[in-house]
Amino acid sequence: MSKHLISHLFQSVLTLWAAFTIAFVLLQALPGDAVLIKFLASDFGLTPEQITELQQTYGVNLPLWQKYFHELGAIFTGNLGFSVQAGLPVSQVIATNLPPTLLLASLGFTAAIVLALSVAFLSAFTCFSWLRQALHALPSLFVSVPVFWLGIVLIQIVSFQLGLIPVINPGHWEGLILPTIALAIPISAPIAQILIRNIEATLLLPHVAVARAKGASHVWVLWHHVARNAVLPTLTMAGLLFGELLAGAVVTETVFGLSGLGSLTQQAVNNQDTAVLKAIVIISAAIFITINLIVDLLYPILDPRLRVAQEARP
Amino acid sequence: MSLRQSLSVAALSALTTFSFIGTSTNPLYAQETPVTGGTLVYLEQQSHTNLYPPAGGFYPNGGILNQITDKLTYQNPRTLEIEPWVAESWSINSDATEYTFKIRPGITFSDGTPVDAKAVARNFDTFGLGNPALKQPVSEVINNYVRSEVIDPLTVKFYFNAPSPGFLQGTSVIGSGLVALSTLDLPFDQLGDATKIIGSGPFIVTQEVPGKELTLVARKEYNWAPVKSAHQGRAYLDEIKYVITPEDSVRIGALVAGQAGFIRQLQAYDEKRVSDQKFEIYAAPTRGVNNSIAFRPDNPLVSDVRVRKALAYATDVQDIVDTLFSENYPVATSVIASTAQGYVNLSAKLQFDPQKAAALLDEAGWKVGADNIRQKDGQKLVLTTYESLPQPQNKETLQLIAQQWSQVGVKLNVLAGDAGSRVVDSLDPEKTAIIPAMVGRADPDVIKSNYYPTNRNSLLQKGGVSTKVKSFEDTELNNLLTAIARETDKTKRLELVGQVQNYLLDQAYVIPIFEEPQVFAGAPWVKGISFEAVGRPSFYDTWLEKR
Repeated sequence: MSKHLISHLFQSVLTLWAAFTIAFVLLQALPGDAVLIKFLASDFGLTPEQITELQQTYGVNLPLWQKYFHELGAIFTGNLGFSVQAGLPVSQVIATNLPPTLLLASLGFTAAIVLALSVAFLSAFTCFSWLRQALHALPSLFVSVPVFWLGIVLIQIVSFQLGLIPVINPGHWEGLILPTIALAIPISAPIAQILIRNIEATLLLPHVAVARAKGASHVWVLWHHVARNAVLPTLTMAGLLFGELLAGAVVTETVFGLSGLGSLTQQAVNNQDTAVLKAIVIISAAIFITINLIVDLLYPILDPRLRVAQEARP
Repeated sequence: MSLRQSLSVAALSALTTFSFIGTSTNPLYAQETPVTGGTLVYLEQQSHTNLYPPAGGFYPNGGILNQITDKLTYQNPRTLEIEPWVAESWSINSDATEYTFKIRPGITFSDGTPVDAKAVARNFDTFGLGNPALKQPVSEVINNYVRSEVIDPLTVKFYFNAPSPGFLQGTSVIGSGLVALSTLDLPFDQLGDATKIIGSGPFIVTQEVPGKELTLVARKEYNWAPVKSAHQGRAYLDEIKYVITPEDSVRIGALVAGQAGFIRQLQAYDEKRVSDQKFEIYAAPTRGVNNSIAFRPDNPLVSDVRVRKALAYATDVQDIVDTLFSENYPVATSVIASTAQGYVNLSAKLQFDPQKAAALLDEAGWKVGADNIRQKDGQKLVLTTYESLPQPQNKETLQLIAQQWSQVGVKLNVLAGDAGSRVVDSLDPEKTAIIPAMVGRADPDVIKSNYYPTNRNSLLQKGGVSTKVKSFEDTELNNLLTAIARETDKTKRLELVGQVQNYLLDQAYVIPIFEEPQVFAGAPWVKGISFEAVGRPSFYDTWLEKR
């Protein structure tokens, strides 16, 4: 088990390094830089010399290899650089923006799971075929709804027409309701699709037939013999969906005017604030890796067969 | 332009002016008694970039600076006269090279330090000369500045190496907002943090969530509004919440739903929705260089005046305004707005005539090729530009122009581009043969601001920030622009402004499109909104009616 964990950790570090390097190379390829974008505006009237000086202060003009090793080295000491746009250290910018996004992502993910489970199990429980078909069609509908559009429609109807929740200056939790729904609906779709398919497949397995033959009720069978088996593959999805959660947060936070990693990403892209973008890439990769690690470690706990297989290994 | 057209333009500009004046002199409003207290929620489309006062030209910056800083003088937006504010009196020598200001006693910055001769001198030394060590640039509104002299604690004198007649008005603009010495000690790149900008204005920034939200709180001890202002003492509002709301539909929806009191950048297509709900539309004129496109003659494709003239003839400005805008956007009749100082009606030089355009292009040797695009010596007449994000519906405007130009065989590529490419390419005449431009300021110097090489340099002449310009320089234009900045005789100065307008159009350096307003919308219960001379809101007089 510990060997398994060590190899995982080693892979994680390698993945982080690769993520940083790829981000570094890609961001270098962009024309211009954050200093130019922020300070070359004509109404600032800075001279070319002053702009070059500013670029030097931010280390924009260093040779590539020097910049790469300098930044890589700095990351190990926890120094993520300086945000040209915010005029603050990146670590400070991230520290203010990460918690709200983690909260929104967790709420969005929980809501997506609840929604997906409801759709999947309702479709398994129902005895009306029209309702089952309708529920089966729901995930396809959900997955094709653009988050941007959904956000605006929710704001227009729930906030502006019905006046139920304010969008401007809402209370802390109040302000999270609509963004959570907007984030959860598209994310729930792939989970629901996999759950529905797995429930149907598990229902056809011999042990379910045996349970039924013994006189177990439909609900009992679903709960005791189907649920656990059907849920397992969706765990893998959870890790993969994190990327989508972050992408969703970019749009959701922009539409709802929330602060967080998503809107920070959008601003950093607009202003080519590369130090911030690199930090976001590393943090996202780290979270992605951690979630997948947790999923990997959870598998043997949830699936006794894997536990047996691991113990049987020499 | 026919008599009817001229009359309608005149009526329109009068209407705009009166609707603007109406907000502060409406008799109904005058009878109402302002209520103190409450929070105004103000939705801004874009986040501010830098609050170094001379960077106040960018509207989101100016919209904040106008609430937190005071100016040496006050330009009355109705009469455009300069009135006392922080300076209670002033004297100017005969050739406008020496200005002496007497500072009103008892004014303090929000950190408690006094607004005295020393502080004012340091502000203008910075704005007039820049501070290279802190990378603080020179203000575009101050010309020929040499130094300051503190005569006594409340008297300051400024010296210029050549006449600087625009300086008095220059002391009244947002770009000359006075800030505390501690603010001037900060490097330029740290002045994006609004909480670090210490002014003496009626509001203080107490909190900033970068790119999202600002909280401004009224200064209770504020008691130095311009002397002629009917309202003295603290601001009526307790607090202003600036919320950055980039989405147009969210800003308007929130206003109509009562979640916000005031919003900036109401698009023309949304005006009806707002007025139908009996909400107020404020179209404040910017009194400067019109929303226009400027040519970069350094680019060989547009170096021939015939080509530039042809493209001006090929542009149907009336169609653009009719299609995309409303009556709040009057069709341009010169390079500068009809509300600007020194304006001359040159609509006779701004005609739409595609036949003439085609003839001029033929004459210049550009023949229509098989793909309907004109070419000469194997080169196609294909021009490229970037949309300007701060200008209203700029992408749509440029796309419509591209359609109009395609009728005479010229292709115009309109790029959105990433920020980096936009900034870098905008300074390269080869990559951007034309560029959208506008600038607001209620002084004849405004025309210099837009075209002079060391200012905004819209035409990209040699001598500016761009290192990509090969040879283009127009000394005749530059001499005229410098003369405006130096001429002390008001009549002669305005004559020079007229000459520049004629020169720019004769050379077809510019195609003026419309007089750009700043369009805001406010809820009926938000009263006493006022604007400075070029359309940035002031919330000092603003109060909220009980709902």
